[in-house]
Amino acid sequence: MSLKAYIITRIILAIPMMLILLSLIFFILRIIPGDPVKAILGGKAPIEVIERKRHELGLDKPIPIQFVEYLGKLMKGDMGKSTLTGRPVWDELMERFPATVELTLFGFSIAVLIGVFWGAEAARKKDKTMDVSARVFAMLMYAIPIFWLGLMFQFLFGMILRWFPVGGRISAAVSLKPITGLYILDSLIQGNWAALKDVLWHLVLPGTTLGLVISSIFLRMVRNNTVLMLSQDFVKAAKARGIKEKVVLYRHALKNAFVPILTMMGLQLALLLAGAVLTETTFSWPGLGSYLIMKIRYRDFPAIQGTVVFFAFIVVIISILVDIINALVDPRVRY
Amino acid sequence: MRKFLVFLIVALALMVFAKDFIVVGTTDKIRSLDPARCYDYFSSNILQNVMVGLVDYKIGTSILKPMLAESWDVLDGGKTYVFHLRKDAVFEDGTPIDAHVFKYSFDRVIKLNGDPAFLLSDVVEKTEVVDDYTFKVTLKYPFSAFISVLGYTVAYPVNPKVYPENEFYEDVPSASGPYRVKEWIRDVRIVLEENPKFFGEKPKTKVIIINFYESAATLRLALETGEIDVAYRHLDPRDIIDLKGREDIVVYEGASPQIRYLVINVTQKPFDDKRVRKAIAYAVDRKRIIEDVFVGLAKPLYSLIPEGMWSHKNVFPERDLEKAKELLKEAGYDEKHPLTIDLWYTPTHYGTTEADVAQVLKESLEETGVIKVNIKYAEWSTYIDYFLEGAMGLFLLGWYPDYLDPDDYVWPFLSESGAKSLGSFYSNKFVEELMIKARGFTGESARIPFYEKVQNILAEDVPYIPLWQGVATCAAKKSVKGILLEPTQIFRYYILYEE
Repeated sequence: MSLKAYIITRIILAIPMMLILLSLIFFILRIIPGDPVKAILGGKAPIEVIERKRHELGLDKPIPIQFVEYLGKLMKGDMGKSTLTGRPVWDELMERFPATVELTLFGFSIAVLIGVFWGAEAARKKDKTMDVSARVFAMLMYAIPIFWLGLMFQFLFGMILRWFPVGGRISAAVSLKPITGLYILDSLIQGNWAALKDVLWHLVLPGTTLGLVISSIFLRMVRNNTVLMLSQDFVKAAKARGIKEKVVLYRHALKNAFVPILTMMGLQLALLLAGAVLTETTFSWPGLGSYLIMKIRYRDFPAIQGTVVFFAFIVVIISILVDIINALVDPRVRY
Repeated sequence: MRKFLVFLIVALALMVFAKDFIVVGTTDKIRSLDPARCYDYFSSNILQNVMVGLVDYKIGTSILKPMLAESWDVLDGGKTYVFHLRKDAVFEDGTPIDAHVFKYSFDRVIKLNGDPAFLLSDVVEKTEVVDDYTFKVTLKYPFSAFISVLGYTVAYPVNPKVYPENEFYEDVPSASGPYRVKEWIRDVRIVLEENPKFFGEKPKTKVIIINFYESAATLRLALETGEIDVAYRHLDPRDIIDLKGREDIVVYEGASPQIRYLVINVTQKPFDDKRVRKAIAYAVDRKRIIEDVFVGLAKPLYSLIPEGMWSHKNVFPERDLEKAKELLKEAGYDEKHPLTIDLWYTPTHYGTTEADVAQVLKESLEETGVIKVNIKYAEWSTYIDYFLEGAMGLFLLGWYPDYLDPDDYVWPFLSESGAKSLGSFYSNKFVEELMIKARGFTGESARIPFYEKVQNILAEDVPYIPLWQGVATCAAKKSVKGILLEPTQIFRYYILYEE
């Protein structure tokens, strides 16, 4: 199959995938107990008010009709309004998403750096100190609850050493006009160096927490796959031809080990972009993860559905991109 | 001369670099800054600092005073209110706040039918502009608590140039109060700055920055590291106790109008037996809840009308296990045939202490030796579903008043419609008549006897068991002054300052 045909096939297959996911979420939300209107008003407003509100939101219609109406609006790009705030769901997602993107990219970068370089070196020095320490580190980071690690960092670096702030995206005294919502980019656009420094300073603790935990997955995978590759004949042949060890490692072994690693990294990135709930909660980072938790608590159907649709869209895009990159790196993949 | 110059430079530097802002941290969130929609604590809190209404509470008290209304007349036996408005009040863009604005605002609230709208739509028949500065409201029936309702944000006037008539407005409000909103990044922070157009006293601090946090732990750390100056809502009780031990931080405590109680579904077996309900009322251990769970940061409550509110009367008995056993025996329960019941709670809506409260209640009731308690829980939205459907027989619930009047502590609980929406399904026409009569009188002294009778019947019929009333807490740097935890729960940023 040509690359073009492969890409088109992947895109077409994404449509039914999203439709199935959307339907599942829509119907499950309406089957589980918990009415969204009562969640917001219940215990305070009279029953007549609750019933009137349900009618206004169309929640008293039969579920199949609600679904058809929802799909119709979605086709027009209308995700509906949050029952909790009354604001368009899309607007709320766009307010939260940049925070998640910033945290994800920062953490992901740390995870990739640690995972790839330490993993590769660990594979090269198999069973030596470098390798053993990598495996112990990976096991520890995988086992440690992320919120505990975050709390410890807050305590040590925030409270005791006072090196970094304990939460939030920006200091109270720093003024930055949000343009894209990506504070690093916004401060660069505005030439606001004080804000840039402050925003980066705020990113360190949550980003490092996230990065360290995710790195454990990358580290093990890179190390194991590279060890496998290093035992292959073509690597032995390359060494026999006198090619330097580092070149053999990075240009031959690691590159060939990378297809499954890339797939896993891509999916991990997609998961992070849905919001790292525990990290966001620990560091009061106003991203998608904490947004979704709050909306679930109040059974805010439009917001939950919108977030899941958005997340599904991200996962689909990223998995298509990963598949394309894999197909480029390894032509065998597309056949 | 040299010393004088050094002194001058230092003084100037202090003036230039002196912080003219205070940073407040909270785990609360703002849902809406539209008075027609605002029905949660923190949104109201912000509006109470950037807007004003017809009346306000005197600082530190629950006594109402004129604000935008200089005076008012109550006519037609309490059915008609005529407000005489002050002539110098404007919104931040200079738009005068007159009778037309009030009519627009009230009618808008009723028309849009948002969350708090029933507070006006249930009682208001019509609104009229008598002249530019005279606003008339006719009620459907005499309602003496109406002035208290006007103290709530639902009755705040909105700028017709900013707030559209036919839809809610979700952006920065048009200020009429001591502060205006300078910046608002949802769930990140809101910045309030002095409103130059406000007719009243200037705020003591020009700028207030409010940061939003996701967890109490981070809020506490932020205060301890100096990232914030004030932590208000919600620190854990144990954090409060720890912070009390710090010399650089002051912990403030104040009366809270919040009440917590058990609801009993009087239509469900075995709770349809009054003796069972009374036995539970005798067996609960309020003291242990307050000491073990809240480390002293709560007060025992013996009526639905809290202590501090006029007409409050302690009507529920102190703990008496023998009396509880006696009543249960009369109802047919003993050690061999114990009463088995489910006790419900919701794990996060009221904070993280609910599970502990439920456990203490279980242990207190089981101390009788005649009751077996199964603890069950459901997440908030499911919890509401269950109690509205009558699926729960005994469960924990809480109440924040919409307006400070005994009526708001009895009508929503003991009227038939109110009891239905709170899951007790209690119905007593006589009690309802008493509450309606109380509404028809103005003046506390005329209404007190009715509320005392209502409370007596409450203790006799036991559709609810009051447990404790909250204590509001706030922790702040020692240098921050002016913090006042008022009985109205209004937290006024405009009286805060830093020494």
